[in-house]
Amino acid sequence: MKDYSEHSPDATVPVHLTLNGEPVSVDVTPNAILLDVLREQLQLGGTKKGCDHGQCGACTVHVDGIAMNSCLRLAVMCEGQEVTTIEGLAEADGRLHPVQQAFLERDAYQCGYCTPGQIMSATAMLDDERIASDDAAVREAMSGNICRCGAYRNILAAIQDARQQMQGADPARSDLASEVRS
Amino acid sequence: MNEMTDPTVIGQRTPRVDGEYKLTGRAGYTGELHVEDMLYGYPVPATIAHGVLTSLDVDAARGMPGVVDILHHRRVPKLYRSPNSMGHGDQVSEIRLPFEDERIHYHGQYVALVVAETFDQARAAAHAVVARYRQEDDARPSLLLTDAEGDLLEEEGDSRGDPDAAFERAAVTLDETYCIEAESHLQMEMHATLAEWRGKRLIVHESTQGVVYQRNALARTFDLPQEDVEVISHYIGSGFGNKLFMWPHAIATAAAAQLVGRPVKTVLPRQQDMLTAGNRPASRQRIRLGAERDGTLTSIRHDSTTETSTVDRYVDSCGGATPSAYACDNVAISQRILPVNHGTPCPMRAPGEVSGVYALEAAIDELAIALAMDPVELRLHNYAQHDPQSGLPWSSKQLDKCLRSAADRFGWSQRDPGIGAMRDGDEIIGYGMASATWSAGRQPCEARVELRADGSVFAACGTQDIGTGTYTIVAQTAAELTGVPVERVDVKLGESSLPAGPLSGGSMTTATTLPAVAAAVRDAVDALKEIVTKPEGAFAGVDPDALQVRDGGLASEDKHISFAELLAMHDVASVNGKGQAAPGGEQEEYSFRSFGAHFVEVRWDPGISRLRVSRVVSSIDVGRAINPLAARNQVEGAIVMGIGMGILEKLEYDPRDARLMNSNASDYRVAVHADMPEVVDVELLDYPDFRFNEFGARGIGEIGLTGVGPAIANAVHHATGKRFRTLPITVDKLVEALG
Amino acid sequence: MRTFAYARADSVERAVDAQHAQQAGAFVAGGTLLLDLVKLDVMRPQQVTDISALPMKEVAFVDDDRLRIGALVTNTDLAHHPDVRQHYPLLSQAILNGASTQIRNMASTGGNLMQRTRCPYFRDVAAACNKREPGSGCDAMQGINRMHAVLGGSEHCIAVHPSDMCVALAAIGATVTLQGPDGTRDVDFGNFHRLPGETPHQEQDITDDELIVALTLAPPLAPQGAAYVKLRDRASYEFALAAAGAMISLDGDMIGEARLALGGVATKPWRCAEAEEILRGQPAETATFERAAEAALADAQPLEHNAFKVPLARQAIVRALRDATRDAKEGHA
Repeated sequence: MKDYSEHSPDATVPVHLTLNGEPVSVDVTPNAILLDVLREQLQLGGTKKGCDHGQCGACTVHVDGIAMNSCLRLAVMCEGQEVTTIEGLAEADGRLHPVQQAFLERDAYQCGYCTPGQIMSATAMLDDERIASDDAAVREAMSGNICRCGAYRNILAAIQDARQQMQGADPARSDLASEVRS
Repeated sequence: MNEMTDPTVIGQRTPRVDGEYKLTGRAGYTGELHVEDMLYGYPVPATIAHGVLTSLDVDAARGMPGVVDILHHRRVPKLYRSPNSMGHGDQVSEIRLPFEDERIHYHGQYVALVVAETFDQARAAAHAVVARYRQEDDARPSLLLTDAEGDLLEEEGDSRGDPDAAFERAAVTLDETYCIEAESHLQMEMHATLAEWRGKRLIVHESTQGVVYQRNALARTFDLPQEDVEVISHYIGSGFGNKLFMWPHAIATAAAAQLVGRPVKTVLPRQQDMLTAGNRPASRQRIRLGAERDGTLTSIRHDSTTETSTVDRYVDSCGGATPSAYACDNVAISQRILPVNHGTPCPMRAPGEVSGVYALEAAIDELAIALAMDPVELRLHNYAQHDPQSGLPWSSKQLDKCLRSAADRFGWSQRDPGIGAMRDGDEIIGYGMASATWSAGRQPCEARVELRADGSVFAACGTQDIGTGTYTIVAQTAAELTGVPVERVDVKLGESSLPAGPLSGGSMTTATTLPAVAAAVRDAVDALKEIVTKPEGAFAGVDPDALQVRDGGLASEDKHISFAELLAMHDVASVNGKGQAAPGGEQEEYSFRSFGAHFVEVRWDPGISRLRVSRVVSSIDVGRAINPLAARNQVEGAIVMGIGMGILEKLEYDPRDARLMNSNASDYRVAVHADMPEVVDVELLDYPDFRFNEFGARGIGEIGLTGVGPAIANAVHHATGKRFRTLPITVDKLVEALG
Repeated sequence: MRTFAYARADSVERAVDAQHAQQAGAFVAGGTLLLDLVKLDVMRPQQVTDISALPMKEVAFVDDDRLRIGALVTNTDLAHHPDVRQHYPLLSQAILNGASTQIRNMASTGGNLMQRTRCPYFRDVAAACNKREPGSGCDAMQGINRMHAVLGGSEHCIAVHPSDMCVALAAIGATVTLQGPDGTRDVDFGNFHRLPGETPHQEQDITDDELIVALTLAPPLAPQGAAYVKLRDRASYEFALAAAGAMISLDGDMIGEARLALGGVATKPWRCAEAEEILRGQPAETATFERAAEAALADAQPLEHNAFKVPLARQAIVRALRDATRDAKEGHA
């Protein structure tokens, strides 16, 4: 249980969180939104703003491992939590996460602006055993991430590739695989 | 013959060279850039669409924490209108300057721009600005809510033969009107500007499809020498046309930076982006067709009206593709525009033609039914073997192959043409098809290339990569022509001080940019040859023309030395090549167009009035795809957008006062993952068009969108027996027609 | 976005006290509703009390076979909870038909009960809206009302209740437990949401200083079939144009017990009691379902743009009843 605390509207509240594996302390106002704190105060621009109202998914981050819209979360509520953004997904040596690698190989993006959100949703989904692995279930689970460039087909293929990769099997034999690679 | 007939890098599926930046969050889009001492701008939008700003109280907002200044019509530096010339490269999206006067022309028009220390402070203060208005009651909300005809644009009309007489004589005629609701681009990254004055120089980071155009327009607006303005756009969260030309927010932001003497960044909130930064205007198109009983088209008339704003004249020319579409002797097109109280419309992916192709291809489907002909056969029967409009031969046209290949893969021959004749469980299956087409254009372009002693190649051009993969195809081009691996090519785009490159629009970037890059590579190679064939050079005494470029180096008959070694041997860091390219005499000899065919399966569940697009099979003829991986992605993405146009997307303006009531990413509906058809099968035909350019490429951004809407509408007719002539075909319309 | 004070509560009592002391306070759990509307300036809290750390995250059967759900259980966790999937499949289906994965991950059970309408005039502070600003009028009535209610509206408000979860709850039956400064009280779910009448701004039976602490479901129908049919413009991440949640227990080919509720067409989660009466003891076949659907929409009052919702809702009902019957026959639960 977190301790009781109270802050006036113009107070600066210190928030301590683990951001991409590193402890971070940042002073925010009570109404500061996690997305804005990431992009403007911490200058981590990888998390995107596409609507600011939970309608596009571009701002998706992991909070304690769960995919959330950072545009609808108060930064002060992240006290003591682990926040992972797209900047924290690749290995320290620069090796891409299997989902990132699959996005690269499948060309699962165009303009790239929704991409961090797609990837954060995809990685959380692949870790969530409650979500089925068939193509229809993936499409449904990913529907909170709009891609206006319409790279949905390649995103799906990339996610299914990454699933195979992360399970240690041969990459991808989803029904799209042979077609996309031809 | 040339070296592009059998390339090894061009035409290969190549992962994006900028991919890692986008995948790791390190690609810097304009809205996330930071410079020292930067302030935040936040516009205050008008809440009415038609009337006058009667008072503006900024005092309370001005006194709020962090607020540095507030711009409005009484507080704005001197600005000038851009000449707004396409030919002179200073076209803007909306000719009216921000804060010109108190007149309100559309919902969302900026009445102020708050400048504050933080984003939160700017937004909070913007909400505290009190604007009062006198709303006028004759607002015009939409072309489709009025019978007004609009203004006829003589210069947009065209005709051949005598279509009126031919129509009167025709055995079979069709006269129908087709409409499309206004659409939003809803590009994922909102418009953003970061403006910084360094002395008298203006540096602007902008999410734009045209750094050079914006540079020129800003120079005109702020009365600066062009050389004192720099516009930078390294990553663009797409645009689909609404970032081609400068919008007022960029001017307001640069003006604010000038006024306060500090850099200012403005990112439009999504609502304001949709209100003020362009849309595809609604269109109303009357198509009249006349045909013989055997299907021979004898008359085509295509009369279009589209919306513009009350502050500018945007023309979405719908009839552009029609005169060249079919072998028909009697054709006429006309275009009208009607001012409405919206922000100025602008090009949106395949502007004009995608609307026109919808109307024409839906009408052709109706004609096929009237003639009891297969719609594919009707199209082939009227196949234009040359361009009937110009009389010129096509440079390369494979539409017949597209139609046949896509039909074959789709299984069109298994179609039962009876209405609702094909069922699967609760669902009725409908098949529909349409042709796709988009003009193939190219512009003059310059580029610069360096061969560097570290073994890399540097290529630069003042164009942009808006997500289509321009960085990658420029790298492929340099790699192809030097033999240096793609990953050793550094590409710089998106800066107005680079050699002048084209807008990222009109599907012209590939055909425009690559020939200039190629010329620059050759020039750089010549520069190297000049050094190495000097008396003290590594290839002393060798005829420069005898030296071959191979595997990242130069080769004579007896030796091969890499560029890096050669440069090191001569103690030279790099050689520089400049290139330029432009369309030439071929434009007088051939007509250039891209073609395609979409076959669509819809599923209609009459028990729950649910319509969905379940399968799309397409064949596309764009000459050669430089990077088939990215090219195919373009077409697949266009199909998704076409599904939006067909069944989802509509900007909803209140009929009473023209206020836009769905300016957000939820109430304005674009397709989500779950709307993606189970099968999308896109084939890129490979018929390089060397008459167009040495790469044989015609560009691919727009064509995939054309034809999707009518193919869906035609399939819906097949499934339901109902002809919907206004897009999108939404649930309410389906229920009302069929429920 | 306006500023507000912030309090992080460490107990329900303290949360309620903090709220009680405020003129314009708001609780925040998931934030998906509140922060959306604060950014639009529709909600203007002066203090936000963070309840997200409170111990209200349990899902467990209580003594009489009723499932008690802590108010802070996320939509995702609730939808996937084994007891919910097994005994209340309609609830699971309805939740998973709503919003997006991310929003379901954030949104709480209590918050979903407090969800507010998506009416564009409510969400635009420049428009007239009796719900947002009592007495200002209703711009939707003569405006764009394609998404609006055909059931339960008044001349003052026709805003649709947007929740999917609440449709399932209306069908299942539940008790909402509130805690205020003077202790707890239970409200029947069917009475928790109010019809707009002349006071559309009073949306629920809850005072400003009361906190939803739990929701207790009625005992499950058994054996039952369930189906949630949501009809909408796009295939996901979309509010309902019409939704029907149905539960059926069968007695041979006859309907034993039936429960039916509607979403997307009414000003509150809409239990169709009359239709349920018609279904009980009747053959589980299309003709019966259609009679029930007729009855459910008998009082519908369509406006200029939303008349299609009446037949559409009937279709949703017939399909939901059919699918629930099939589900029951397949021996679910």
